[in-house]
Amino acid sequence: MSDDARALEIDGISKRYGDVVAVHDLSLDVSAGELFGFVGRNGAGKTTTMRIALGVLAPDAGVVRWLGVPLTFEARRRIGYMPEERGLYPKMHVAEQLAYLGELHGMTGAEAREAALGWLDRFGLADRRDAELQALSLGNQQRVQLAAALVFAPDVLVLDEPFAGLDPVAVDVMAGVLRERADAGVPVIFSSHELELVERLCDRVGIIDRGRMVASGTVRQLRTGGQERRWIDVPMAPASWDAGVPGVRLVQADGTRRLFELAPGVDDQALLRAGLATGPVREFERVEPTLGEIFRSVIEEAAA
Amino acid sequence: MNARSPGLGGTHRLPTTVLVARREALMRLRSRVFIGGTTVMTVLVVVGIVAASLLAGKTAPVRVGFSGGSQALEQTFTATAASLGASVTVSDIADVTAGTAQVTAGTLDVLVTGSATAPTAVAKAAIASNVESALSLAAEAARLSDAGLSPAAVTSAMALVPVQLQQSPKGKDNENLFAGLAVGILLWIALGIYGSQVAQGVVEEKATRIMEILLATIQPSRLLAGKVIGIGLVGLLQLTIVGTAVLVAVHVTNVAEIPALGVASILGDLFWFLLGFLFYATAYAAVASLVSRQEEVQSAIAPISIFQIVGYLLVYAALPDPTGPLATVGSLLPPFAPILMAVRMAASDVPSWQVGLAIALIVPSIVGLTWLAGRMYSNAALHLGTRVRFMKAFRG
Repeated sequence: MSDDARALEIDGISKRYGDVVAVHDLSLDVSAGELFGFVGRNGAGKTTTMRIALGVLAPDAGVVRWLGVPLTFEARRRIGYMPEERGLYPKMHVAEQLAYLGELHGMTGAEAREAALGWLDRFGLADRRDAELQALSLGNQQRVQLAAALVFAPDVLVLDEPFAGLDPVAVDVMAGVLRERADAGVPVIFSSHELELVERLCDRVGIIDRGRMVASGTVRQLRTGGQERRWIDVPMAPASWDAGVPGVRLVQADGTRRLFELAPGVDDQALLRAGLATGPVREFERVEPTLGEIFRSVIEEAAA
Repeated sequence: MNARSPGLGGTHRLPTTVLVARREALMRLRSRVFIGGTTVMTVLVVVGIVAASLLAGKTAPVRVGFSGGSQALEQTFTATAASLGASVTVSDIADVTAGTAQVTAGTLDVLVTGSATAPTAVAKAAIASNVESALSLAAEAARLSDAGLSPAAVTSAMALVPVQLQQSPKGKDNENLFAGLAVGILLWIALGIYGSQVAQGVVEEKATRIMEILLATIQPSRLLAGKVIGIGLVGLLQLTIVGTAVLVAVHVTNVAEIPALGVASILGDLFWFLLGFLFYATAYAAVASLVSRQEEVQSAIAPISIFQIVGYLLVYAALPDPTGPLATVGSLLPPFAPILMAVRMAASDVPSWQVGLAIALIVPSIVGLTWLAGRMYSNAALHLGTRVRFMKAFRG
């Protein structure tokens, strides 16, 4: 990727709270139009990283750049932010609240009002616009919270756990909105524990562990670092058959089907030939590791 | 469309401080607390003024009966009493015994008997000092006239020294003390209500976590300033409504002789509210930013509330002697000046240098507190959960 494409750049940030290292020398960048998924265990440093990216928290070291220059206060105001700790005024009316946040981010009153109603409509909350926020269900409050991050048509989106607590329909709506904003050229960073969703939605993924970025790239790139696996169905093979090919390890047996893991550089055709030597081969399937499997193996490696 | 909503129809990009102030003001103006509180305060002061005017109407005029030779004093007495500001009616009493019985029965306030040069007065209780003076002066005039002075010479000899007042007349009479107490209590209540609203508002934003969203788009100092301005304007509006009600009630009931209820005095009271509010609101905001939950607000603001309570107690200590050392010193100190100086100004004359000194002391205090509050607020605003220690918030 060329340097010009990097819209938001987090460069070598560190943050400690007393003796606790929250983030250590962490770097990542998100291009215009890219959806970046941020995964990691609880307490890994995702929220700290996002708060620093937003400028609500100052890093001990490192710098955050927007279009190549250190992030200014004015640039920060153009970031749509959804904090992990949800927060809006419980007693303020929904549309009024969104319009207020729009104006705080620099819209005129009329623009803010129109945008607020537009997003409420989009999230199916048009009939609740004059309700107090606290009268809404938690799921609907969450939609309003996302609308609050979107209402002023931000240049960047930073969303901490935007999918937590949403029903499947709302997840689809929100995923659609994020994809749409990214396609409109907005860099989007979000964190999530829904690894399947991250895998499906994101252009690139970063795995963070104990304050360090331990892996990042497209899901395909992350897979190449992992182990290759093959399912093979060999009905005529003896029950104890383990292929006997160097660098090929039996992981699991399911009736006549067996799952093998290939050491790096091992040719899967050797496994297929060994299978054919037992008789017919009914199935030979390449198994791509899921993001969840990649995540677990990366975390284990980092711990080792 | 909701006509009350900000954002409707506006075509300007407003400064963030203005937006925050507008939200704070609108949310409060709409609340039942504001509407109910304003109604109750207005009704209370209007009822107080109407009651005071009815009571005042009952006491005047003083009915004085003259019998025998003292009847010669009637004309001089009436004229002198009028010039001393006493309202009197005079009547002839033929029989001293019957007159004494009238005094006992309460249909006559004072009975004057004896000769014009040596009269004696009978009354049920102490009589107003200006009525007593008028009677003495009338007797003196009679004696001078008896000694051979012409009536014209007597009149010129008895002429009162004309006093030109530079300020509106204020005594330590009951009406002024009452007005001073009312001003003190109203200011104390208003400062308490609006000061603690600032504290509640700060904690609300921390407790609901909206602080994180807000601070991503507005500097902490501007958020704090907007909050203080918005809530302060609501307080000022409420007191202006009550003040206007007072002026209207005074005009209608004609008890206008109480200077503490004049336009200038009420504007002065609003000015002191403003200074007091800025002083206490910034202090409250600073300490409230140290905690994250509504339950902790009261204990957090307690150290500041103590100053307010002491100021309130000083009102009672100062009222009997508004020019004494306790009242004078207290009314100069910034934490107490907003209440005590307003009370003193309502109850008595205050030298202008003292008012100037009190303002000269409180204004820099407000500036210093604003700086301190902004600093603490910025450092503690995003610290959620446990209580932030003062020095940590101060150092950052």
